[in-house]
Amino acid sequence: MKVNARLARGLVWALALVPLMFFLAGLAAHDFRSVSSVLNMLGRLTGALGLALLLLAAALSARVPGFDQPFGGLTKLWHTHHLLGAGALLLLMAHPLLLALASAAHGYQLPVKVLFPPLDDIATWSGWLALILMMIFLAPSFSFFGQPNYERWKRIHALAGPAVILALVHTFLFSRTMPANLDILIWSLFALLGVGAVAWRLVFSRRAGRLNYSISAVEAVANNVVELTLEPKRPDKHLQYQAGNFVYMTPLDKQLSAGCGEEHPYTLCSSPTETKLRIAIKDLGDASRAIQSVRPGTEVQVEGPYGRFFPVNGKPEQPELWVAGGIGITPFLARLRHFKALGQAANVHLIYAVQDEARALYADELRDLAQAITGAKLTFHYFYREGPISADFLLETCPDLSQRETYICGPLPLNKLVQDHLRGLGRPRYSIHTEEFELL
Amino acid sequence: MKKFMFAAFIAFWSSVATLLAVQAMSPETGLDGADGELPEFTLADVAKHNTLASCWMAIEGKVYDFTDYIPKHPTPPFVMEQWCGREATEGMRTKGYGPDHTPAAWAMMEPYLIGVLAD
Repeated sequence: MKVNARLARGLVWALALVPLMFFLAGLAAHDFRSVSSVLNMLGRLTGALGLALLLLAAALSARVPGFDQPFGGLTKLWHTHHLLGAGALLLLMAHPLLLALASAAHGYQLPVKVLFPPLDDIATWSGWLALILMMIFLAPSFSFFGQPNYERWKRIHALAGPAVILALVHTFLFSRTMPANLDILIWSLFALLGVGAVAWRLVFSRRAGRLNYSISAVEAVANNVVELTLEPKRPDKHLQYQAGNFVYMTPLDKQLSAGCGEEHPYTLCSSPTETKLRIAIKDLGDASRAIQSVRPGTEVQVEGPYGRFFPVNGKPEQPELWVAGGIGITPFLARLRHFKALGQAANVHLIYAVQDEARALYADELRDLAQAITGAKLTFHYFYREGPISADFLLETCPDLSQRETYICGPLPLNKLVQDHLRGLGRPRYSIHTEEFELL
Repeated sequence: MKKFMFAAFIAFWSSVATLLAVQAMSPETGLDGADGELPEFTLADVAKHNTLASCWMAIEGKVYDFTDYIPKHPTPPFVMEQWCGREATEGMRTKGYGPDHTPAAWAMMEPYLIGVLAD
């Protein structure tokens, strides 16, 4: 499974190197003749590689249900997207500077003239505009100026579209990254991938990819968590999914104080055998706060499923250790409900880490499930009493953890802490699976 | 990674600012803006300098002496040599096979400007 994910990621990076290979094939002795020509060559190289990374990042932004599977789920896919974007920005910032510096060999006035040519030089200025748009739409992704709000981040990130088009205009006008017309061919193919992905995103995921549901029940799980039950509008058009998957849900109630018509990702906590979907939502932002008081009968759209937290055809006898923190209990709850619905035995040990008893979500149901399912064990870990989870705690509660695959879902600090403990105890990286719900 | 990206972002704008500052402080070189005072040459004058030992070209109404530049040009010398002593705008605009030279290349010509083409 993990080898697959690595292969999928490796393929994306290998694809990014295709223009680079053609570029290198086109190099000649004169590209290395002087400092200036080496800088110039590096300037062109960073441009070509940066554009390749940018277009591949665009291609990966298409959210196609199922496409995230080989990558190990949508959050892992986005991790690659994020790295590609970071790489593209770094390379494309180096690109004009290297070219400008290279020109200094012919006069100290030249770097600035290269960077800021007359305004009718569309090729250069489209490149500048693309780069500045990149800085704008990537600034919130890397929290340049503080942690962004999700919806605003999303709107700003849409500037990636014009940035990609301007970057392509820039490249086609210069078309000197690769020998002869090869570069038109290669960039067209890459552009097709990127533009196709964005078109898919706009057309498919907005229209064809969404299923209509309506909220049939709203139940308060805690004072800041609700569980919504969603019923398909047409029984034949309901979501097929695996326990632990997540969906994008768009509520269509104009009376909501925030988030009407906005899509947000939520983990399903129902068993896939149920026809209704259940989603537990914690108040973490404007939209998830507003949804706490959503009225039954509200129409919603559901897109998915995404994620591959648990193995697709997981064997129930496979021994597993689960570590959940806070609302990160949802994928495990889904799995336990599914075990129970199927009447299956399991071999799982769930450690649920929460601040105190009052914040243990679904505590009673979890206890009941652990009792009803053969082979399921449950341990609560209270931060106020025991402090952060320690390696000793893990070993004491789960002495055979070296035989278990571990699944972690919870806040990043907990996630990292448990991973560090497990690595310290000699568990190999591939035996640890995590689901991150902080996407930035 | 966030910190690294932010550092790179600041480094980029610092470098651009440095280049601008260097340019603002360095004395204006070349013959920019002094077209009126430049000597006039005819295509016949240019044609006398048609070897690598002395290579002049007429490009978009201006005359350049590229003798010292040819060894620095990315291509082997014979590529530019073909244009020595001639009206070479086409060579500059098409590189002989299609695409224009970059703005960087156009800007690089300035130090080699020696005059204007007589009508």
